Amino acid sequence: MRYGIAVNSARCMACYACFMACKDEHCGWGSALSAPQPHMGQFWMNIVEWERGDNERRIKTATVPTPCSHCDDPACMKAAKNGAVYKRPDGVVIIDPEKAVGQKEIVDACPIHAVYWNEELQLPQKCTMCAELLDDPDYPGKEPRCVEACPNQALVFGDLDDPNSEINKVIAANKVTQLEALGNMGSSVVHLNVPTAFLAGTVFLPAEEEEVCIGAHVKATCECGTVYEMDTNWAGDWEFEDLPKNKKFTIEITADGFKPVSYEAFTDADHYVAETYLERV
Amino acid sequence: MAKEKITHSICVGGPMTIHVKDGVIRRIRPIVLTDDDAQGWVIKARGKEYTPQRKTTLSLLGYCEKDKTYAYDRIKYPMIREDFIETPDGQNRNTENRGKSGYRRASWDEALSLVAREIKRLHATYGKETLTAITSSHHSWGLVGYKISLFNRFFNMMGYTRVMDNPDSWEGFHWGAPHTYGYYWRLGGPEPFDMLEDAMKNVETMIMWSHDPDTTRGGYSAQESALWRWWMKEMGIQFIYVDPFNNFSSVKHADKWIGPRMGTDAAILEAIAYVWITEGTYDKEYIAKHGHRFDEWAQHILGLGVDGTAKTPKWAEELSGVKAADIKAIARRWASTVTTGGSGMRGGFGGACRTVGGTDYARLLVSLLAMQGMGKPGQNMWTGTCGGPMNYNFWFGGYSDPLASIAKAPVCDVPAANTVSQVLYRTNLPDAILDGHYEWYGEGFCGGGLDFEFTRHVYPAPGCNKVHAFWRYGGSFYGTMLDTNKWTKMYQSSELEFVINQDIYFTPETRHADVILPACSNLERVDIGEVGNSGNGGYCSHSQTGNSWQVIVYQDKAIEPLWDSRSDFWIFSQVAARLGWGEAFTEGRSEEEWAKRFWQFSDLPKVMSWEQFKEKGYYIVPVSFKEENVDPKTGLIENWDRYPGFQWFAEEKPCNTPNHKDFQEEGLLGTLTGKFEFVSESMLYWAPDDEIRTPIARYKDSWEGHKSLSADKFPYGMISPHPRFDYHTHYQQHSKWLWEIPENRKVINGNPYLICRINPKVAEEKGICEGDVVKLFNDRGQALCVAHITRRVNPETIHVYTSSGIYNPVELGKAGAVEKGGSINVLTPGRLMGDYIPAMVPNSCNIDVVKAEADPNPGQGWEYMLEAVDKQQEATQRPMNTSIEADIIFGEKEAK
Repeated sequence: MRYGIAVNSARCMACYACFMACKDEHCGWGSALSAPQPHMGQFWMNIVEWERGDNERRIKTATVPTPCSHCDDPACMKAAKNGAVYKRPDGVVIIDPEKAVGQKEIVDACPIHAVYWNEELQLPQKCTMCAELLDDPDYPGKEPRCVEACPNQALVFGDLDDPNSEINKVIAANKVTQLEALGNMGSSVVHLNVPTAFLAGTVFLPAEEEEVCIGAHVKATCECGTVYEMDTNWAGDWEFEDLPKNKKFTIEITADGFKPVSYEAFTDADHYVAETYLERV
Repeated sequence: MAKEKITHSICVGGPMTIHVKDGVIRRIRPIVLTDDDAQGWVIKARGKEYTPQRKTTLSLLGYCEKDKTYAYDRIKYPMIREDFIETPDGQNRNTENRGKSGYRRASWDEALSLVAREIKRLHATYGKETLTAITSSHHSWGLVGYKISLFNRFFNMMGYTRVMDNPDSWEGFHWGAPHTYGYYWRLGGPEPFDMLEDAMKNVETMIMWSHDPDTTRGGYSAQESALWRWWMKEMGIQFIYVDPFNNFSSVKHADKWIGPRMGTDAAILEAIAYVWITEGTYDKEYIAKHGHRFDEWAQHILGLGVDGTAKTPKWAEELSGVKAADIKAIARRWASTVTTGGSGMRGGFGGACRTVGGTDYARLLVSLLAMQGMGKPGQNMWTGTCGGPMNYNFWFGGYSDPLASIAKAPVCDVPAANTVSQVLYRTNLPDAILDGHYEWYGEGFCGGGLDFEFTRHVYPAPGCNKVHAFWRYGGSFYGTMLDTNKWTKMYQSSELEFVINQDIYFTPETRHADVILPACSNLERVDIGEVGNSGNGGYCSHSQTGNSWQVIVYQDKAIEPLWDSRSDFWIFSQVAARLGWGEAFTEGRSEEEWAKRFWQFSDLPKVMSWEQFKEKGYYIVPVSFKEENVDPKTGLIENWDRYPGFQWFAEEKPCNTPNHKDFQEEGLLGTLTGKFEFVSESMLYWAPDDEIRTPIARYKDSWEGHKSLSADKFPYGMISPHPRFDYHTHYQQHSKWLWEIPENRKVINGNPYLICRINPKVAEEKGICEGDVVKLFNDRGQALCVAHITRRVNPETIHVYTSSGIYNPVELGKAGAVEKGGSINVLTPGRLMGDYIPAMVPNSCNIDVVKAEADPNPGQGWEYMLEAVDKQQEATQRPMNTSIEADIIFGEKEAK
């Protein structure tokens, strides 16, 4: 059995229930697996957020719960002395609250900044996946606190070794998006649907007509050869989501009776490419 | 681990499972249902089956409840202002020092005896009307302890000048919508009953006008409806969001967001009507049958009315900043697809209705929904909260139910009636005290009829003395009322000879009292309640339909009252005893015995004994008790008694919805004509000269807005919607965990500055960078915030959440001092919406912004708390913008 959490970023609203449930569980209370978390300053369930888009007409946010990944081959474990970090048979990575005293290297080693330094105790600290609760036969809950708190089923807990588990079904049904900082290393926390980049725009009829253009054909051709196509929707909008990053795209817009328009775009980030006002032929 | 004690309770963040270890609260969890609990409902729509998770939800605030219980700012002991002198004539009491003075610890006996002596003196000198008292809403939950119950019992028995609440969260719908479609008994809001299923089956487009459901959470329904909206989103329903702030729901769910300049929503609605009328794309048959004076209104829209202006999309573009092409596209999508929509929290709320002209915005929105056949399948007034399946046949009281108050029979033996007729009005309480005179229209909450909006009140009431004492109970109006520098002036007036503050926390208002009475929290006393139930017949009834599960909770005492705090019931009964009517007040019942009365007068005894209920701690009401309604395949409940809101009207059937009026059974609405009034007969009858709320609802320039004189000096519109990271003022000051959310606050020099949101264009013009301290200001006040630069607000608008629980002026107790705690209501106008409309309008607020410096003093206004503010915070601050972190973890995000 291997405990895992699937983080479906597409479903996260950044409601912070997981964040607070984690603080509620660990601030001021320790266990054999962790010393008490300070009242403020550590975010074992960190929610990383960024704003997407460069034009008010199309703005989205990415909100990605990012606890310790519980890596298959943890960098923190390599950096630790005296076996202060260990991986349990169920995959949970634990910083031993006694052996790790004074080992700030454990904080620095984490590629995703999920380990925090407790100045008072001189101790590195991080998410335990609530293993101390899962181990406890008297504890009535069945999931880590963050997962139990999630109203959106954006966090799913289960056994990664059981092909029929809910977590494996969710992973199979969604796009796995490996954290870049982890390279190609596997981990017990699996991120899904973390967005890459979108290109979007709106097509209008000639300005004096004050109308959007519905059904204009938009073709986006990636330098890698992949072609994406759609028609503008009821609002005249087009959008290609989750495009490969750092690629050049050619956008071609065509509509019967109008001159074609084209743009160059680059997916270094999310872009609203243009408000396109068509010209009649 | 040692076995932990488990109890349950309710807060505005949802129902709680509370673990207690050795007398200390260990953790707060949701209720995870067991096999003994009821089966859930299943909605079958578009080839799929949808059923809620077998657990309740808690908002982030619920998870702060433990932290809040042990908070640094709890009032630990009774206290008396150190320079308060109990003069025999009530004069020379250093009242000008209220808000500045410190306190000394007192015994309960000393504090209570002082309170009793003063009440006797005041009554003997001026009569019972001389004392006024008011509570905030929702600082506790439970039918015994909530304000309409316990507070009313005490003050009604004593006799006092009642303060009418204003419908501060939905002003425009309350004072406007009833003139178009009735529903005054729902305070202007629609019927959400069974709308979730209707939407799941039929809707193609959702109009979310001035609405952020993930933030307002159906009122107090935790995150119960969050999953519903994902279901709707993932089945392909198109979501259109309209809000000057691309809010937290919009930025995730919107297929189309438009951000009009605040206060111009009515113009967009008129332009949409223009498109429909000119293109003939509205339900003509429905309007012919159910509309009143539609043709006159249509003439007005087409420019053939008195003002001679056609309400074209181009006309609306100039006012709102939203492109005419976008308005037309939305109009056509709305008309050509099955569309449901509404405004704000439960369909009849939202920031747009809290602007000048919010009444007419509300009326126009209802008018447009009517034009598309409101009540036909999938065409309704509903916004994705409330309206979940519910068992309407199982009765348990909600807080506004007449039958669910310890002030009323049958719960008590002898009802408590107030013998003082004089009243005050909350929005203008300081004006009344300071000026000694105030006049206004309306009954505050006008559920009794359209005419209730037009009753006239004068303070002091004829034959009555003025108010000379104030008993404040629970919460802070510095964050929720307007132009709040007035409150400081009121507190420092010698007109108020005696001020009592009874609260759990040392709130900004507590700091202005003469005597402070420390109450314990909900977790330290016994109560009983249903999650989200505001009343089954009271105002906004059946709001528990905002939950996926109907949960009734025995709110057991998790721990003993902390420090010297006592339950509100104990405090009131002690004062009553000292005034000579202690036994009449308690009727010999303990708090638990009062709680049991609500069990006794509900349907609970049919399903479980009092002892079983106490033992289990909660009861989940199945949506149907009937065996034949269970899907044999899944065991889920697939049928229940449905009462789809408003469909009776479209289908011309006798109305059978819960909480309906007799005339609805004859197919009539609650307007004077019983129809949708496009020209309001009630306005023509009662206030034909009302310049804001005209007989024909229409856009008008606001007396404070982008075209008013003050816009030259203060060019930005500040919007301050209901907060995402707080509930009223009840969490921000108490749980510092909330300060660690980058979208909420940033701590500098020990002070937690509130985040304000500014468009990059404005930031560039003003030289403001991400994370800078900025000063928001106008002629009424000045407030320091921290800037978050974002394209989620339009360049005309500055967004900052209202309801800061923290009020922290840089100069203590000085009205007009720079406010750094986030109570931005020092900026909002105190002027009511109109001569006839006693509504507050926080979102009609012109301000300017400049880059500023943080106040060098850490938490200056907090020094009178019993524990100094923790100065460690700054070292532990998170960076506001986590995109650098995001770049490291997920790859770079910013364009190069």
